[in-house]
Amino acid sequence: MSKVETLDISPVGRVEGDLDVRVDIEDGIVTNAWTQAELFRGFEIILKGKDPQAGLVVTPRACGICGASHLTCAAWALDTAWQTEVPRNAILARNLGQLVETIQSLPRHHYGLFMIDMINKNYKHSKYYEMAVERWAPFTGKNYEIGVTISGRPVEIYALLGGQWPHSSFMVPGGVMCSPTLTDITRAWSIMEHFRKNWLEPIWLGCSLERYEEIRTYEDFLNWMEEKEEHANSDLAMYWKMCCDIGLDKYGQGLGKYVTWGYMPHEDKYQKPTIDTRNQSIWMPSGVYDAKTDRHQLMSQGFAREDVAHAWYEESNKPTHPFDRTTNPIANNKTDFDGGKYTWATAVLHAQEGHLEAGPLARQLVYGGKHMEGWQYSDPLVLDMYKKMGGASVALRHFARMHEVKAVYRKIEHCLREFRLSEPFYKKPVEKDGRGWGATEAARGALCHWVEVEGGKIKNYQIIAPTTWNVGPRSAQGERGPIEEALIGIPIKDSRDPVEVGHVARSFDSCLVCTVHAHDAKTGQELARFRTT
Amino acid sequence: MANLLWLQGGACSGNTMSFLNAEEPSACDLVTDFGINILWHPSLGVELGDNLKELLNDCLSGKTKLDIFVFEGSVVNAPNGTGQWNRFAGRPMKDWVAELSNVADFVVAIGDCATYGGIPAMAPNPSESTGLQFLKRNHGGFLGKDFKSKAGLPVINIPGCPAHPDWVTQILVAVATGRAGDLSLDQFQRPKTFFQSFTQTGCTRNIHFAYKVSTTEFGQRNGCLFYDLGCRGPMTHSPCNRILWNRQSSKTRAGMPCLGCTEPEFPFFDLAPGTVFKTQTVMGVPKEMPPGLDKMRYIKLTAAAKAASPAWAEEDMFVI
Repeated sequence: MSKVETLDISPVGRVEGDLDVRVDIEDGIVTNAWTQAELFRGFEIILKGKDPQAGLVVTPRACGICGASHLTCAAWALDTAWQTEVPRNAILARNLGQLVETIQSLPRHHYGLFMIDMINKNYKHSKYYEMAVERWAPFTGKNYEIGVTISGRPVEIYALLGGQWPHSSFMVPGGVMCSPTLTDITRAWSIMEHFRKNWLEPIWLGCSLERYEEIRTYEDFLNWMEEKEEHANSDLAMYWKMCCDIGLDKYGQGLGKYVTWGYMPHEDKYQKPTIDTRNQSIWMPSGVYDAKTDRHQLMSQGFAREDVAHAWYEESNKPTHPFDRTTNPIANNKTDFDGGKYTWATAVLHAQEGHLEAGPLARQLVYGGKHMEGWQYSDPLVLDMYKKMGGASVALRHFARMHEVKAVYRKIEHCLREFRLSEPFYKKPVEKDGRGWGATEAARGALCHWVEVEGGKIKNYQIIAPTTWNVGPRSAQGERGPIEEALIGIPIKDSRDPVEVGHVARSFDSCLVCTVHAHDAKTGQELARFRTT
Repeated sequence: MANLLWLQGGACSGNTMSFLNAEEPSACDLVTDFGINILWHPSLGVELGDNLKELLNDCLSGKTKLDIFVFEGSVVNAPNGTGQWNRFAGRPMKDWVAELSNVADFVVAIGDCATYGGIPAMAPNPSESTGLQFLKRNHGGFLGKDFKSKAGLPVINIPGCPAHPDWVTQILVAVATGRAGDLSLDQFQRPKTFFQSFTQTGCTRNIHFAYKVSTTEFGQRNGCLFYDLGCRGPMTHSPCNRILWNRQSSKTRAGMPCLGCTEPEFPFFDLAPGTVFKTQTVMGVPKEMPPGLDKMRYIKLTAAAKAASPAWAEEDMFVI
């Protein structure tokens, strides 16, 4: 019998609260895993009985990282409940707010969270190690400082629209509060130009955005890397080459099933928003992709279920649609990994497909499909890489995230071009009772809100965040959650410093700050403890 | 050199995100130029390997000097005062907070959750959250009203949801450069240098306040947000219109009513039905007025303002 070790990965607050991850290791390979959210704040409980618009104030504050995304969902949820009309300019302003938050997140996550692991002692022998330290060491690395600092610029545009980032509430049913002037728009252009000329092109790509956009296949990408010295030396190429050198292209596969709600309602097609017409009205398509059958299909809110079999809630035993949920936490949140309850995150399921992975990789795999309409966004690159590389990995999941800079940058330009400054940004709605649903894609994946307004106040408010999809526990059927599954099979070189677990957790950008503490499987004695996110 | 430890309780990380937007000094400058040694931070810090728990214990034992303890997020006491709904490094976070506060020279609460309890402490406060030394307006909070850190100061409160990055970095620089003695705190332990003036101070809509020209609904470039849309700018203490957000603007400039997030009552009225983005009035007179005004003075002021208001005040001033 080989020795089994158990590692406990314990976290420190973020959107979904604190996450612990427990993994069993056998002969240096992870054979089982559990993800555990460790903080409960009860936003759904707080919102009950409040003003219908309370979600606009409260939910951006569920997450300081994805506040614009929460606000987007909260506003569209009320729009569908109140059957408002949302002017073209307001749709553009909401989209722009969401997009600049997302583009901010790319360098911030990349340099601030993900790349720090590349200078782990495990990789001292990599030929890229010295370069990695010089560029990416926290605080002192040459590109770390540029990357973290430049990440603050795009959200200046959010401040032009909403006054501040994070935590504005400038999106309201019927539109937005602001009415930007020409100088706001020109300033926004200059900010994006600064972002492009000071980081995106010279440091990240080593080429123009236009040249990068020509890459359509895996081969194109490999050829691009070697085409010029500037390409080969870019942070993107160095990231990729080092990943392949240290094996990050070999593990972290996951479930092979993906979900995105899609985002960016079309400024002309979604002025009378309803739940049912959303799929035909968004620039970035929704979808579910199953790699096993290579099949794309549309996603709809009707498929969403939450399963609390292994979560600290006392509710229905059956997977429940969020409209039918009553959030009822268990006071005694005892951890039971042995078939019992072990987390504050519910298992989010698709009624037919079960667990699904959310995030940029999911979006990019959906963009490679043929299920959307011609005017909607498509991009074959990541699906091509996925197929040719034999599925997902830490390297590809994070690549998919950073690849989004291309689409997001262009969509920001689109919004800035399309505003008609003499037309309205708001049309005052009539408040009424009803049910609504708002969805978007936060930087880290599928996010949506359900609201039910009755008697002029909130009867039920439910949120499913990307991290809930990804860090959710086992379903009642025993299917592991996405991160749990992605941890299976990963090699652990040093169980006192299992940086590989960190790579996987961070490739999901799960908004979780994790601490890993390692236990001896037999004695339960703690071997090591460290951060992963 | 000053050792700084930053932990998060019932937090959304919004203050961390805000802090990362800082430019003068930036988060990197704090480390490289001002000698602030970040012992640990949930998302920024260098990986500490086996050392996190050891590091915390070294702070407690005095082996590592803890100069500045920064706390973000509420102190979670649920369920039933045990703190088990927010565990960190194997224990309730509140236990770490209690012990670390006792060994730190300075304790700094960043954001509303850490100062007053914030959104999580809103009724019915399911997580039994409190701020470090206040729960809403009540002095005491988690550490008790008599608490003083080793340097002899109560918790330094930097409220806001989130706090502006400059409010945070400037206070950290003041402490790290030995100027803590110059800090003067108000009744809610906020540094007066930031929180004596009003949010309205410097607002581009002041002229419309003066002439009582109201923004009657969202999306209007003209007018003051106080009269109809529930803006709390005249009653709230913050420098939001003196030190702009993200170097560009402020909520009130952009057209969003101030929610009063640097005051202990935020979110006001517990967001009860009818209170969000609507000025609360009695017979057309706002229930809450700029400090020092009463109903009679208000009526005199606005009657005079209306009578004196020039025609151009009603016209769009912030044009395309």
